[in-house]
Amino acid sequence: MFPASFEYHRVSSVKDALALLSQFGDEAKILAGGHSLLPMMKLRLAQPAHLVDIGAVHELAQIQEQGGRILIGGLATHHSVETSSIVKAKLPILAECAALIGDIQVRNRGTIGGSLAHADPAADYPAAALALEAEMTLENPGGKRKVKAADFFLDLLTTAVQAGEILTQVSFAALGAGTGGVYLKHRHPASGFATVGVAAVVTLKGTNFDKVRVGITGLGAKAFRASSVEKALAGKASDAIAAAASHAADGVDATSDTYASGEFRAELARVYTRRALEQAVARVKA
Amino acid sequence: MKIAGEQILSAPRQSVWELFNDPNRLSRLIPGCEKLNVLGPDQYEGTINVGIASVKGVYDGKLKLEDKRPPEHYKLLIDAKGKQGFVRGSGTLDLEARDGSSTIVKYAGDLQVGGPLMQVGQRMIEGASKMMLGQFFAAADAELQAAAVGQVARQGILVNFWRYLVRLVRSIFARA
Repeated sequence: MFPASFEYHRVSSVKDALALLSQFGDEAKILAGGHSLLPMMKLRLAQPAHLVDIGAVHELAQIQEQGGRILIGGLATHHSVETSSIVKAKLPILAECAALIGDIQVRNRGTIGGSLAHADPAADYPAAALALEAEMTLENPGGKRKVKAADFFLDLLTTAVQAGEILTQVSFAALGAGTGGVYLKHRHPASGFATVGVAAVVTLKGTNFDKVRVGITGLGAKAFRASSVEKALAGKASDAIAAAASHAADGVDATSDTYASGEFRAELARVYTRRALEQAVARVKA
Repeated sequence: MKIAGEQILSAPRQSVWELFNDPNRLSRLIPGCEKLNVLGPDQYEGTINVGIASVKGVYDGKLKLEDKRPPEHYKLLIDAKGKQGFVRGSGTLDLEARDGSSTIVKYAGDLQVGGPLMQVGQRMIEGASKMMLGQFFAAADAELQAAAVGQVARQGILVNFWRYLVRLVRSIFARA
């Protein structure tokens, strides 16, 4: 359980981190909370020659509100998202999602940027980021670019973050009037990861759906938007939820492992999608 | 771990069979394959450098083909070991002519995976296998299409990953 030897670099700015990334290329990894990277290094599944610790780049840990958007620095821990008064007031679904991640030790160290950039197929944040249509800011030596959540998760552990880039900020639109969101997960009893997790964000116009966004994690190799569920609900009233939720696993190659078969995961996705949608509607009406 | 699936390759069955029996061409299609040497009739040894995000590992292994029925079937025995674990198991490959110019490839296998790889990667191993198979078939399709017009397709991890993404996107739209 000892990692292979590596060089440790502690930087105090994004600029310095980017310089080290371009210097060492493939050999360097960014260290944020270290709750995905370090376990893999201890088992020597990952053996980066250089670790670039961005823990001292304090401005990356900020959570702020600006022009109707909530801006969360990549280094914000799950605990700070969970307890932030801004997030609790404007994006309660995200605070709830953060509160369900792992255990208190993981939430104290793990970061939103680290979780999203690592793209574990069973991580919680990706479902919420998809349903909330988050926008990721990626910084590279040439400047910044923004990537929408829908274009961010490419495959197992694979995201739009290119070599030499750092995910520095995640931006969310605050939930407006008539909009409610819920994140529900079936928790893996040992790891705390989502066997399946569903984030549902709905906007109602009168009694009918105006906009529905469903993000699902844990089911396949990457988190995804359940567009067939969303389409089935367009313009409908809430009595259409049960039928629509039955499409939650459509077209997804569900993961099987020793804990949960693919069939079980697909069924969890359908049931949790229905429950999340029903609870999201109840929130708007409350 | 059981793996099963099927893929359609746009080439006649005979060409697909020849490709799946040609170690030189296969070595360029298998993601991360560093070498694939012939040990004897239907026996090979090779090295694969597997890399998905920061999880990287080098695996050395032996590969044996059995129960060959050209041009439709063989059984594949695999025994590979790396610093982070081992993979052992067997699988079958069946080729079915879909029409004169395309072939359905059906594969099924049962693999035992052990070592540290299993401890932390248990949740990921199936996903990783599917991802590598997807990249392999995307590369194989490109190779077959290029061979049909007398060319050699460009292969390489980045090119193949790109092909794989393009196929993925197409399959998503095909469903919608």
